[in-house]
Amino acid sequence: MNLGVLASRSLVRNRARTVLTALGVAVAVLTFVLLRTVLVSWTASVDAAVQDRIATRHKVTFVMTLPKHYAQDIGKIPGLGPSTYSNWFGAKDPNDENEFFATIAVDPVSFLEVYDEILVTPEDRKRWLENRRGALVGDMLAKKKGWKVGDVITLTGTIYPGDWQFEIAGLYTATRKSVDRSTLWFHWDYLNDALSDSRKDQIGWISTRVRDPSRAADISKAIDTTFDEMEVPTLTMSERAMNSSFLASFSAILTALDVVSMVILGIMTLILGNTIAMGTRERTGEFGIMRAIGFRPRHIAIIVLAEGLIIAALGGGLGLVIAYPFVEQGLGRWLEENMGGFFPFFDIAPETSAMALGLACVLGLFAAILPARRAARLNAIDAIRRIA
Amino acid sequence: MSTQEATFAASANGKPIVVLKGIHKSYQRGKEPVNVLNGLNLEVPEGSFEALMGPSGSGKSTLLNLIAGLDKPTTGTVSVAGVDLGAMSDAELAKWRSRTIGFIFQAYNLIPVLSAIENVELPLLLTHLSRADRRKRAETALKIVGLADRMHHNPRQLSGGQEQRVAIARSIVNDPQIIVADEPTGDLDRESADEILQLLDRLSKEFKKTIFMVTHDPAAAQHASLVRRLDKGALQ
Repeated sequence: MNLGVLASRSLVRNRARTVLTALGVAVAVLTFVLLRTVLVSWTASVDAAVQDRIATRHKVTFVMTLPKHYAQDIGKIPGLGPSTYSNWFGAKDPNDENEFFATIAVDPVSFLEVYDEILVTPEDRKRWLENRRGALVGDMLAKKKGWKVGDVITLTGTIYPGDWQFEIAGLYTATRKSVDRSTLWFHWDYLNDALSDSRKDQIGWISTRVRDPSRAADISKAIDTTFDEMEVPTLTMSERAMNSSFLASFSAILTALDVVSMVILGIMTLILGNTIAMGTRERTGEFGIMRAIGFRPRHIAIIVLAEGLIIAALGGGLGLVIAYPFVEQGLGRWLEENMGGFFPFFDIAPETSAMALGLACVLGLFAAILPARRAARLNAIDAIRRIA
Repeated sequence: MSTQEATFAASANGKPIVVLKGIHKSYQRGKEPVNVLNGLNLEVPEGSFEALMGPSGSGKSTLLNLIAGLDKPTTGTVSVAGVDLGAMSDAELAKWRSRTIGFIFQAYNLIPVLSAIENVELPLLLTHLSRADRRKRAETALKIVGLADRMHHNPRQLSGGQEQRVAIARSIVNDPQIIVADEPTGDLDRESADEILQLLDRLSKEFKKTIFMVTHDPAAAQHASLVRRLDKGALQ
């Protein structure tokens, strides 16, 4: 026997209370893990951004367009590799207008060159490049919608009104988990040809590879300087910065999630502190006896702190045991299939687990500080008198 | 037995292990000081079994706490086993208690989630003994009190008398020089109480422990070799 055993035995004194408290901690840790995983997955595009890719858009906002000839002009700037251009299309499936998936008009050849993490079979690639109406669809979106190669689908345009027909030319997967596999890519020419003269030859943004990623900032500045003297000024930034600026529009939600995850741990700490305090109050006499037979205040404090740590670790461990199958086999797969645009992958990061368990243990100790201090300061005579 | 007889008996039995001189103890109750012990002098000879009787509020438990090093006098000196307790810090007193004093309480005060042997082992956690040695000593203590067959029972599986015997085993497991007992038979029936008192008698005679017992029970006091009476903070 040692002080740790003594602490763990004390927890079985009132089994129902210990179990309920551990469950409370488990639920808090589960919720924390879910919220953190949402944050990690949502911001994964920033972390997973390719280092040698930069994006150029309208200086004011990415909603405003650039002239198409910018895509050719940019190639004249030294230090750049291949580039491609795209337009956000924003179409919806008329059968399910509440459903979201990205639809983007691209130049197929240069797109596959610049975005080499997109994996397409040679047959699908050939079919897509040769078919002006062809669409390259993520395998997850195809699975969800039941689309197969050769199917003709109709989408309703929102930015570009009307019904748009596409033929599924191929499916793509990706070499990296962070790539959204629920996007529909199609020929920019198909879009451009259908537009009125006033909207023709406009592009949303240009993506360019840089030969030396360490010079990405200098090259971005050079691009913007070049276009400052032309009709539309640009803003060029690394893919990571562009993704960050896109996420910034959701910053309030992200901050709220961050705050809520911390508030949940705060509530857990209070519940745990209350349970530990109740337990120590009930054992005032015992602590008095222990002090009488020679236990020092620090021994009593260690026992109470160990109780906080043990119950938090048990609850935290239980929370993780519940979280893994819940996320990895249930919620995570559902989110990837249905909200792949926001959550291209939804897995619990090892750092999140470690953080959840670590914080639970630290807060368990923190919750026990006050009861431990109170128990350690008990006067032996007063404590014994309470049970006499 | 009168105080004079008691003092004589004490001095006749051997050198004193407990020496209290000019003890005053007062508490603050609200704004009023309450005097509990008034100029008390006491010598308890080594190896004796003494009983302290007196009405409620006479200061018995306070005196017991002073001897056990749980409390300090307002004025006066307390010397136990050759050590001046007034000169010791709280930490030193705690360490001293763990080696010198064994405690027996009226309500047994065993830890309900520990088995009998674990309860007995508890004071040994403060020593540097190995786990095996601790277990061995706890087993020996339980054998002495006649509970070798109840080692792994929890307190709630034991009778009141058995619980008190476990508490006695806990009090002797560190081989203390002095055992202080506060109403050790107060919660027991006559038969169990007699068993406990016989055990204390045995600890005194066979194991040469000095036992200082506070009791209300005249029958219990009869087991002691010396009975002292305390009233209004003074020995009669």
